[in-house]
Amino acid sequence: MNLQARQISKSYGAQRVLDKLDLSIAEGEVVCLLGPNGAGKTTLIRTLSGLQKPDSGELYWAAQSESFDALPLRRSIGLILHQPFLYEHLTAFENLRFYSLLYETGLSETDLRKMLSRVGLGNARPIPVRGYSRGMKQRLTIARALLCDPQILLFDEPYTGLDQQGCGMLNQLVQEESALNKLVLMTTHELSFIRQIATRFDVLHRGKIAASFSNDGISLDALQEQYNAVVSAGKSPRKEQA
Amino acid sequence: MSSKNKLLALLSVLAFLLVLFAFIRMLFFTPVEQTMGLVQKVFYFHMSAAWVGMLAFLAAAVFGLLYLSRKDLKWDTLTAASVEVGLLFTVICIISGMIWARPIWNTWWTWDPRLTTVTIMAFTYIAFILLRRGVDNPTRRARFSAVYAVIGFISVPLTFFSARLLRTIHPVVFGGGEADMNLNAQMLTTLFISLGAFTVLYAVLLLHRARLMAQQEELNQKLAADDGSYDWGE
Amino acid sequence: MKAWLHSVRVLVWKDLLQEWRSRDILTSMLAFAVLSLFIFNYALELSPLNRAEIAPGIVWVVMVFAGTLGLNRSFTAEQDQGCFEGLIMAVPDLSAIYFAKLLTNLLMMVFLAVLVIPIYSVLYNQSLFNWAFFGVLALGAWGYSAAGTLIASMTVQTRMRDLLLPVLLFPLLLPVNMAVVKSCGVLLGSVAGQDINSWLNLLLVYDVIVTMLSIMVFEYVIKE
Repeated sequence: MNLQARQISKSYGAQRVLDKLDLSIAEGEVVCLLGPNGAGKTTLIRTLSGLQKPDSGELYWAAQSESFDALPLRRSIGLILHQPFLYEHLTAFENLRFYSLLYETGLSETDLRKMLSRVGLGNARPIPVRGYSRGMKQRLTIARALLCDPQILLFDEPYTGLDQQGCGMLNQLVQEESALNKLVLMTTHELSFIRQIATRFDVLHRGKIAASFSNDGISLDALQEQYNAVVSAGKSPRKEQA
Repeated sequence: MSSKNKLLALLSVLAFLLVLFAFIRMLFFTPVEQTMGLVQKVFYFHMSAAWVGMLAFLAAAVFGLLYLSRKDLKWDTLTAASVEVGLLFTVICIISGMIWARPIWNTWWTWDPRLTTVTIMAFTYIAFILLRRGVDNPTRRARFSAVYAVIGFISVPLTFFSARLLRTIHPVVFGGGEADMNLNAQMLTTLFISLGAFTVLYAVLLLHRARLMAQQEELNQKLAADDGSYDWGE
Repeated sequence: MKAWLHSVRVLVWKDLLQEWRSRDILTSMLAFAVLSLFIFNYALELSPLNRAEIAPGIVWVVMVFAGTLGLNRSFTAEQDQGCFEGLIMAVPDLSAIYFAKLLTNLLMMVFLAVLVIPIYSVLYNQSLFNWAFFGVLALGAWGYSAAGTLIASMTVQTRMRDLLLPVLLFPLLLPVNMAVVKSCGVLLGSVAGQDINSWLNLLLVYDVIVTMLSIMVFEYVIKE
């Protein structure tokens, strides 16, 4: 199975954010989406998740143009966006249990507790999520995203708020999922961490995938250089970034 | 001038002439009503304004549904323009009604079902305009406007029936009963001319307002997206 | 269908649990309602004769105003924490989200009535214990919640939020207000026996139409 986006375009009023974009992700791949702020990374993730319809273009899932409104397809996507999707007055466990019931996962209480341990919240106090730090909320969000055993993982800036240990934990989880032939697309600015697990880097620039290079042990500096080269190429003189 | 603008200009002139014609006819060529006297002549424009108010609301709901199914923002512009024009005519209707009621029934206001419904309609219009002001995202604003226009429109007949039911239970104690008018053929003709003139006027105002709104929105978009690529002609 | 009912149940349970933990909404609604009853006493200077006639009006008006506090808050969690999108990904149909919120808001109104009515009876020395009265209040609360839930789901996404809800909602509620107050007046025996079937029919029609319409348009409100 694979995920294909063909000729995706999206504009907000006069601003064209995605311009006939093509993207394809295969089983077992961990694709890292890079790009400057405002390039449209979040828009692309939202479009791939089905939350937003593109102005034109098509999404293909396993070689069929299936409607992303179909419930089994929606439920097979593990999504992390900028906001945590958490209920502040419930505890971590209750949040997971809610989503578990909603997704009809059939997971038992023990399974949920195991999931909490997986993200490092196994010993967290049973207080409402309101009292959690940003990092702890992010760990819980990751647990929530993996709860329904998704086939497609779409993570927008998942390292946000995580400490070194947390970033390592996320990397390990992603590798575990990838080994089970899941598709992973992540956006981030944390090149040092994503470098350890990504199979491919795609750079989103001016509404298209401007460059795509595979990760064959590339060094951090070389990666940074390549990225800068793509992003500064073809910039108009007026638009110099400070 | 483009052909579309020329047509609009022509239509505007036509509307002006029709309203003028109706006005003159109403003042000088229509008999004065027996029971109510001269003030009854307010009725022709009052009724026409009410008609346009209702028509504008129906049109807004229809445009709203068209936006929801076609996602073209021009339908949203028409919805908003229709509501604004409709509000104008509804207020004219209410005020002219009060002018009419005072000498006849010695009161500024009656809880007559039609008046109640029209006033609630005006409040719904105002709420619609406030809703639009509270949303900056154009597509979200369009969706919300369409939804509110539809639900607002559906509530109008429900409100009318409620108010009417209230009236059958509570007979009116002070004045303000059914308009007790004797309309002869001449007066009816004037009324129909008036209704027609106001309908054309509505269409003209709608198109003007929609055109202005569309241009304003285009300007806003260009200002927001100013990445230096737009030639401001400096 | 079973999946739909299941998701509604899970969503309602989540909302009730959230509210039970914070008790923000219910306590402020209750405080608002009781204080309003006090204000009404001094504002209206009711003789025992008047009171009987006006009772349904006062109770309903208090519920309508206090209810807006609950409506305003009903979607804040979803909006502020982005949970709308989490729910959209998971539910079989978006109408489940609407219906669950409608039920939650309805339950809040019922809770409010259960507390306000005895307090009113005590303060004004007038028994309002009448099952038909409760039934009509419930029908009215349904219509109120149906319209209110749809409007709240919109206003929570605007800049003005709480300020906008009453402005948008109240013009739509006139039929409900009239039907509830007028038929309750008859049921409580304070107004001479009249046929209230027309009012009840109107109320039922309103409830059904508004609920169905809201279910149909809800997806346009919460989804891009």
